[in-house]
Amino acid sequence: MLLEIDGIRKSYKDFSLEASFSVEEGEFISILGPSGCGKSTLLALIAGLEKPDAGRVVLDGKEITGMEIQKRGIGIVFQSYALFENMSVGKNITYAMDKKKSGKEKKEGMLALLALVGLKGYEKRNVSSLSGGEAQRVALARSLAAEPRMLLLDEPLSALDAPMRRRLRGKIRDIHDRLGITIIHVTHDREEAYAVSDRMIVMNAGKIEGIGRAEEMYKRPDTPFLASFLGEGTFLSKKSVSEGDGYYFFRPESVLISENEGTDAGSTYLVLKNAKVMGIEFQGSSYSVKLNYNGEMVTALSNTRPRKEYVNLMIMRNFLNIF
Amino acid sequence: MIGGKAKIFYLKLSLFALLLLLFLFIIPLSMTLSRALTSAGDVFSSAYTYRVLSFTLFESFLSALISVLLSLPFAYFWSHHKFFMRSFVLSLSTLSFTIPSILVVLGFVIFYGRSGVLSDVLSQLLGREVKVKVLYSFFAIIFAHVYLNLPVAFNLIANGWEKIDPIYEESSYSLGRGKMRTFISVTLPMLKKEILSAFILIFFFCFTSFSIVLVLGGSPKFSTLEVEIYRRVHVSLELDEASAFALFNFLVTLVILLVSGKIGRMGREKRMAGGMAKLEKLEGKKKLVAIALVLLMLLFILPPLLSIPYRSLVDRNGEFSLSSWEKIFSRSQMSVSIVNSLLIALSAALFSAYLGETLALFSARTGSRIVPLFATLPLATGSATLGLGMNIVQRSLMPQSLVASYLMVTLMHLMITIPFSIRTILPGAALLGEEKTLSSYTLGKSYFTTFASIEHPLLSSYRRKAFLFAFALSLGEVNATMTLSSGKVTTLPVLLYNLIGSYDYQGASALGTVLLLLAFMVFFILGAGRKGKADVT
Repeated sequence: MLLEIDGIRKSYKDFSLEASFSVEEGEFISILGPSGCGKSTLLALIAGLEKPDAGRVVLDGKEITGMEIQKRGIGIVFQSYALFENMSVGKNITYAMDKKKSGKEKKEGMLALLALVGLKGYEKRNVSSLSGGEAQRVALARSLAAEPRMLLLDEPLSALDAPMRRRLRGKIRDIHDRLGITIIHVTHDREEAYAVSDRMIVMNAGKIEGIGRAEEMYKRPDTPFLASFLGEGTFLSKKSVSEGDGYYFFRPESVLISENEGTDAGSTYLVLKNAKVMGIEFQGSSYSVKLNYNGEMVTALSNTRPRKEYVNLMIMRNFLNIF
Repeated sequence: MIGGKAKIFYLKLSLFALLLLLFLFIIPLSMTLSRALTSAGDVFSSAYTYRVLSFTLFESFLSALISVLLSLPFAYFWSHHKFFMRSFVLSLSTLSFTIPSILVVLGFVIFYGRSGVLSDVLSQLLGREVKVKVLYSFFAIIFAHVYLNLPVAFNLIANGWEKIDPIYEESSYSLGRGKMRTFISVTLPMLKKEILSAFILIFFFCFTSFSIVLVLGGSPKFSTLEVEIYRRVHVSLELDEASAFALFNFLVTLVILLVSGKIGRMGREKRMAGGMAKLEKLEGKKKLVAIALVLLMLLFILPPLLSIPYRSLVDRNGEFSLSSWEKIFSRSQMSVSIVNSLLIALSAALFSAYLGETLALFSARTGSRIVPLFATLPLATGSATLGLGMNIVQRSLMPQSLVASYLMVTLMHLMITIPFSIRTILPGAALLGEEKTLSSYTLGKSYFTTFASIEHPLLSSYRRKAFLFAFALSLGEVNATMTLSSGKVTTLPVLLYNLIGSYDYQGASALGTVLLLLAFMVFFILGAGRKGKADVT
C-alpha cells in the first residue's frame, strides 16, 4: 500500500468532508463526483495544500499529515496548468528537477520528458504560445520532472474540447502504464473516469459513496446515488410490477423490447407487459426509447426502431438491482 | 490555500518594508501630533482655520465639478466615434498622471502671464497691445486645476463609457425612450462609478494641491491647508501652529480617502454583456465636430506645456537665444539640482517598487487588508504634514548635516511613493493567483526559491510600472521637499519654484524643459508598456 487516508476530516462553514481509503502502488484512481462534492478538497488535503482537522495521511508507511508541501514528494497538475510564463517550456521542466543534477542531466531528462508527453522540439517555446492541450502536457511533464512518489491530477482535462479530452486521457493512461507511477485523478466526467482508471472513488456531499472498479460499480451500484450518478437508468417501483416496497433499478441497455405478443421468458427475465412507447430518440448507433409502464417512465436502448405502440419489455434479472 | 508557514514567509519578506513604513510614518506623525495637541490649542478654535478649511473644500469641489462636467461631452464623443487623432488625444490625456504640477505652474506663468506667449500672440493678431489678466487670482487656481484634471476625468470616464455594451441603450430606444431619457435613466447610472471616482480623485488632488495654489493664487488670501502648513513652517516659523494644521489636514483627508475607498469597492454595474461601444465612423458634418473637439483638446492641453521649451529658446523680445541653456551648464546650482532630482528619484523609485512588491505580495497572499490601508496613511497625512514631521524629527534627532538632509528627503519621497507602488502592484499580485506558487511548492521548491524564480519575475511589468510612477512622482515633488529641507536640498522642482519666485522665467523654462522631457520619457515608456504584452495572463 502506497497511500493511506485514515479518517481524514475537514470542516468549513457550510461543508464538511470525511474520507478513508487506500491506494496501491502503481494504481490509477479516479475520484469522481458532482461539483462541490469535495473531491478537489480531498486532493488538496493529500498534497498538503490544506490541513485536515483530524485523521492521518500516510505515504509509504510514513505519516505526512502535517508535513510541508515541499517535502511530501507528491506532484500535482492543476486544472489551469499553472505554467510559469517567465520561463520557456524547457525551463518550466528543468525548474522542477533536483538541484544536484548537472546541467547536462537536466537537459537530457527534459528532452526525454517532452518526448514522453509527445511534445518533441517544444523546449524553446514560450508557454503562452501553447494550446490548452499542449500546456496540459507540459504541466504533466513538469510534475514528472520532480520525480514524485505519486501524482495528483485536478480536473486536468476539463478546460479542453471533447476530442482533445479523449486523446489526452489516452495519453495520460499510456504514460501511467509506461512509468508505473501512482496517479490519483479528479474529475466530474464519468466517461473519463471509466476510460482511464483502475478503480474509482465516487464522492457525494463530502462523503465517499463507493469505491471499486468502474464496470462493477456501473453494473452493480451499491446505492441509488451511485446508480443514477454513474449512468442512465430506470427506477421502477416494485409495486408497479408485483408486491412489495422499494425499487428495481436497471440500465437502458439491459432492457430488451419485444414486439411479440405473449412474451414469456421464464425466470431469466423480468417481463413488463404492455408498455406504451412515448417517444423515440435516434442516437446514431441506437435508439433511446421512453416508455410508460403502469404510469412510470422506463428508458430502454434498442438497436431497432419499435414499430408498435404497445410492446413488452424484458429485463435480465442478472442486471436488476434492488434498493 | 496558502498555508501558515508560507504566510509567515511573506510576512518576513515584507517585514523590512513594514518596519520602514512604520518608522518613517509613525515617528514623524506622532511628533507632529504631540506638538499639535500640547501647544497649539487656538488653531482649533480660530475662525481663520475654518476659513482655510472651507476655502480648501470649496476650491477642490469646484475644480472637481468643473473638470468632470466639462469632460463629459468629450468622453461621450471619444467613446462612440472613430476619427483621426482619437487615440492620440486619449493617450495624451494620461500625461496628466505623470506631469508635475510645478510644470503646470510654469507653463501657466509663461503662457497665460501678462507678458506671456498668449499676450504676445493676441497682440500680434489684433495689432495692439493686449495683456492677458488671468493669473494670480482665484480663477487662476481653478483654471490650473481644471487644466491638470480635466484630462484625468476625460480619460477615466471615456474608458468606462467605451465598455458599456450598446445593447442597453438600444433596448431603451426600442422601448420608445428618447435619447435624453435613455442617457439619464440608463447610461448615467452605469457610469456612476467612473464619474464618482474621477470626482473624488480630482477632489483629493486639489485638496492637497500645493504649488498651484501657492504661486498662481498669488496672495495669502488663497491658502489651502497644505499651503498654510508650509507658510507656518517657513514664513512665520510657527511649528506648533503648523502641527495643529497638520492634524486637521490629516483628519479631513482621512475622511476623503475612506469615502474614495468605499466608491472603489462599489460593485461594478452589470454592463459587460460582452460587447463594447460600437465606434461609429464619422461622415460629413460630424467629421467637422470631431476636428473641432480634437483641436479644442489639443489647444487646451498643449500650449502651456509647449511654451516652456519655446520660452527657453526664444526670449520675451522674440529673439532666439541659448543663454538660458548656457546657464544650466554654467550655474552649478542648476546642474546640481538636476543630478539631485535624478539621484533622489531613482533611489526612491527603486526602493519604492521593490518594497511595494513585497507589501503587495504579503497583502495578496494573506488577504490582509491592513497593508493597503496602512499604505494609504501617508497619502492621507499629506506631503506637507509628512515633510513637517520629518523636519521636526531631523531638528530633534539628527545632526544638521547635508547628508542627513539628503537621506531624509529620499526617505520622504520613498514614503510618498510607496502607497502608489502598492496600489500599482496589488492587482498584479492578485492576478498571479496561488496555483503557480503552490505548483512550485509541490515541485519541492522552497518559499524563497518560489518567490525569486516565479513570483518576482512574473510581477516585473507591474514593478516597472510602479517604478515609473514613483519616479515621476518623486521627480515632481515640491511640497514635502520644501517643507522638510528648508532649501538645503535643492531638487529640480524646488529650484524651479525659486526661479519662478524670482521672476527668472527664462532660466525656469530651460530647467522646466528638462523636467518636461523627463516626464515625457516616463509617459512614453508607460505607454509602450501598455501596448506590450502583460507578463501575467
